Amino acid sequence: MLRRKEKMGFHGGFNLLDTYPLKFCNIIEEIQSDRTPEKFEFHFPDQKIRHVIVNLCPTEPWALPNWVVLGHKTTAFLDKLYEMKTRYFPEASVSIAINKRETEFVAKAIGYANAADWIKIYTLDPKYPQDDPVMFAKVILGLDINFGQNITTQGIFIFDAQTLLAIYDTCILKNTVNSRLITLSGSGLKENEIVRVRLGTSIDTLLQHRTQEAIKYNIFVNGPLRGREITDISQKIDWSVNNIVVLKDQDSKVIFPMLKSDELAFTTNILGEPRQCVYCNFCDNICPVELEPALYYHSYIRGEKHKARLYHLEKCIECGLCSFICPSKLELLRINKECKALDRKT
Amino acid sequence: MKTLPQSIELMINKNLDRMESFIHTRPKVDFLFGSLFTAFDGLLRSSKDTAGTQPFIRNNYDVKRYMGAVLVALVFGWVLPSVYFYGWQTVLSRLAVSFIAGVFLADVIWAIIAREKHISEGGFVTCLFIPALLPPQAPLWLVGLGAALAILFRNIMGGVGNNLVNPALFSRLFLTICFPALLTAGYQAPVTGIPDLHSFRYGIDVITHATPLTAFKVNGELTPYLSLLLGTASGSLGETCRIALILAALWLIKIRVANWRIPVSYLGSVFIFSVFFSFLFGQTVAPPLFQLFSGGLILGAFFMATDPITTTYNQTAKWTFGIGCGLVTLLLRNFTTLPEGVMYAILLMNLLAIPIQFLAVKLRYHT
Ligand code: SF4
Ligand code: SF4
Repeated sequence: MLRRKEKMGFHGGFNLLDTYPLKFCNIIEEIQSDRTPEKFEFHFPDQKIRHVIVNLCPTEPWALPNWVVLGHKTTAFLDKLYEMKTRYFPEASVSIAINKRETEFVAKAIGYANAADWIKIYTLDPKYPQDDPVMFAKVILGLDINFGQNITTQGIFIFDAQTLLAIYDTCILKNTVNSRLITLSGSGLKENEIVRVRLGTSIDTLLQHRTQEAIKYNIFVNGPLRGREITDISQKIDWSVNNIVVLKDQDSKVIFPMLKSDELAFTTNILGEPRQCVYCNFCDNICPVELEPALYYHSYIRGEKHKARLYHLEKCIECGLCSFICPSKLELLRINKECKALDRKT
Repeated sequence: MKTLPQSIELMINKNLDRMESFIHTRPKVDFLFGSLFTAFDGLLRSSKDTAGTQPFIRNNYDVKRYMGAVLVALVFGWVLPSVYFYGWQTVLSRLAVSFIAGVFLADVIWAIIAREKHISEGGFVTCLFIPALLPPQAPLWLVGLGAALAILFRNIMGGVGNNLVNPALFSRLFLTICFPALLTAGYQAPVTGIPDLHSFRYGIDVITHATPLTAFKVNGELTPYLSLLLGTASGSLGETCRIALILAALWLIKIRVANWRIPVSYLGSVFIFSVFFSFLFGQTVAPPLFQLFSGGLILGAFFMATDPITTTYNQTAKWTFGIGCGLVTLLLRNFTTLPEGVMYAILLMNLLAIPIQFLAVKLRYHT
């Protein structure tokens, strides 16, 4: 069964793939690690699995692209998925969300789904944050869940292709999985690469000889939008690390910036000067869950943090797009988080 | 090897750095020239701030580009057409006076006195509006006074982001109250056909006293629609060439700097209400299309009412705002002695925007 959902998805969002086109060409196998690699482990929970969503629609350009994992073996992948379904979640609905631009995978999957009615294919517009659990649940399942809620308790499981294959290997084939693919990208690196690393390798071993010399850079795990900044580079890579982005720290002024937008674009520079809110409506136009972030900002600067919570703040999925787009460079996401934290304390 | 442009860049960069540290390390110099330097530096160089919290990358779009887009649209919307219609000396002298009085005097002096950290780029937009709102032959000092008042007024209200009403319109209102005679005279007739040397510089020497709306009010005369659209009818300096204004505004709407809801609701409500009024009162009120294309309505609806700071933030409330503007404009035009009501309508709705926004938020979130 095929469902097209690009129109029915959600308002707002932003197409990052076009804004930051990152090219990955080569896959580098196996980086030695000085420590003994850790093993990937997964246990299906006791409670019933009601929905399984397979995420083949990465919306962040620095995320692991589909072709690396799937290659030309889409059909084999779906066969494995079927085997897992019959064994572990026979009653669950299985949906596959595919980036509608990746025509090869879409065609294969549709060809497969025509003959199999246990699977539903959704071809989606790859705009960020489509692959957020909240957005998936809303677009595919029609469910309204809140950010930060544990969706597994509702029986919803979202897997990416690599995790699914790893589960297949460990649970069904009983092999050991101790390495994974991650992407390395960003303006602080010499080139963008996809690397297979052993779990447990430290970030600094991985980045050795890869970062550009003589510049300041910051390291982010799982993307500069939602990911976290790494200050301790001896940290180990585990299964949750999908990608590492190293951005140049552009903390000096650059002359004639209008001529050098390429050079500045993928750095941590805020690309403008902080100003007062000009009520431009960019933030509520881009917000995927249709909030009005400027309201939180105005409550916040008036010192009425508690008031911000009146405006459906709990719906915010912390995607960061409002801060990303704001021409006045306001720290809207930080404000949202602060106001939310207030909620938890009281 | 460095190429020549690169070494020039390096040199400018180094000297600017030197100046910056010179200024910022001496409190007295900083007090006088700090904000001026920052403003100048901001035009040449990018900022050095980096994102300290998530998200760590930011879009390449700042207030400067936002205001810059409005400036570009205004240049194509009214400056270029009126250079043709009224001669380049008429237009450019007024622009120069407006910028000097507004940005370079009022804003800079204010920044020094009030110890502002930066000079806002919004001043350029306001000063580009001032001559557009005045008659083509308004005395230069009036233009300068208007610009200075607008900037001063905006700064007193707390600067860009805090002003309740559109500063350019407010200053126009002030001038209307103080110098009523000057604002009803000086409506020069625009050039039509191919300008000769003299009219290319100064426009033609005919001064009319009746703009299309006044003409209608006084003796029921309707100016042809085509001449209203192309700008060959008299009016304020920037409001006559409506076709250029519309095209420029459509571009602004396309790049999302202007919000489409306001012009649609404003113009739509003007049209619907005037159909309604014509139906009720017949010939005493102007016909709908004439209402749309006369006076400052096009300039007002596309450029002044859409000023984001003075409308409501809530998108649905913007409809109410626009409809309110349309209704007030028509009431003033048709049932008072005033020939034109756009300015009053927008100013009034600017003030009403606050309760409208308040109500809209209340309705939406049930607080
Ligand atoms: S994007 Fe920024 S400047 Fe624009 S309305 Fe939102 S908070 Fe205000
Ligand atoms: S961070 Fe929250 S408020 Fe901001 S755009 Fe994302 S969901 Fe909307």
